[in-house]
Amino acid sequence: MAEKELIPKGKQELEGEEQTRPGRTYMPDVDICETADSLWLWADMPGVDEKAVEVNLAEGVLSIAGAVSLKEYENLAPVYTEYNIGNYLRRFTVSEDIDVDNIKARMTNGVLELELPKSARAKLRRINIATS
Amino acid sequence: MALFLDPVSGLLSLQRELERAFENPSGLDLGVSGRGVFPLVNIFSEPDGYIVRLEIPGVSPEDLHIETQGRTLTIKGNRERRGPEGAGFHRRERDSGEFSRSLQLPDSLDLMRGEASYKNGILTIRVPKREEAKPRQITVKVT
Repeated sequence: MAEKELIPKGKQELEGEEQTRPGRTYMPDVDICETADSLWLWADMPGVDEKAVEVNLAEGVLSIAGAVSLKEYENLAPVYTEYNIGNYLRRFTVSEDIDVDNIKARMTNGVLELELPKSARAKLRRINIATS
Repeated sequence: MALFLDPVSGLLSLQRELERAFENPSGLDLGVSGRGVFPLVNIFSEPDGYIVRLEIPGVSPEDLHIETQGRTLTIKGNRERRGPEGAGFHRRERDSGEFSRSLQLPDSLDLMRGEASYKNGILTIRVPKREEAKPRQITVKVT
């Protein structure tokens, strides 16, 4: 059975690379699944507005990024905290052939949903394996 | 220590402030659902009350229920996992299912006048202070 996998790079808190602005960056939790036609990905990025999301697929690397807004924290004094906030970034190596022009991205309630349709060549290859 | 966030290092300042409050909790006792129960909570104060914030991405507002009783604020809901039929999962890092968390807030807050909003996966509940709890000037009459 041919295996096509998304392989994540990096750890929980993104280290070893600097963003242009100071501050810790976090890797969003993801669900990834595969159907015959597409790869699907959901990433939890609470606090990120749809306009602050960036999705990129180039040279076999999918990167998803989201920036949180700080406006909601102005003039507030933290009293009790259990979680920290920060921008999100995570990258995956995609070994599948993806039809880049038809990637669909949707951001709803802090969750990024990506549909990465497999290219015709990738689907054709799969059919050949099944009948040989 | 209200936060003033400048555009360049604002994020780092905020992260440091949040971490400082994490390491030195202000003695707020949230009751039975103490630390580390989903969903995690951050509590801020502003001049007129408290702001309770929880990160709960991917919940429909109809699936979120917020109740108050006395000093207790309860947040309940259900995170559903969506996905196409017949798909094989490569990764499952996101939790799904029902959650419920109760917080005991200080008496000085008027929970009955709390207001909640949900945006970009963050639930924000504003709870004002009771009128009696607000600082008040007593004018001195000269007789």
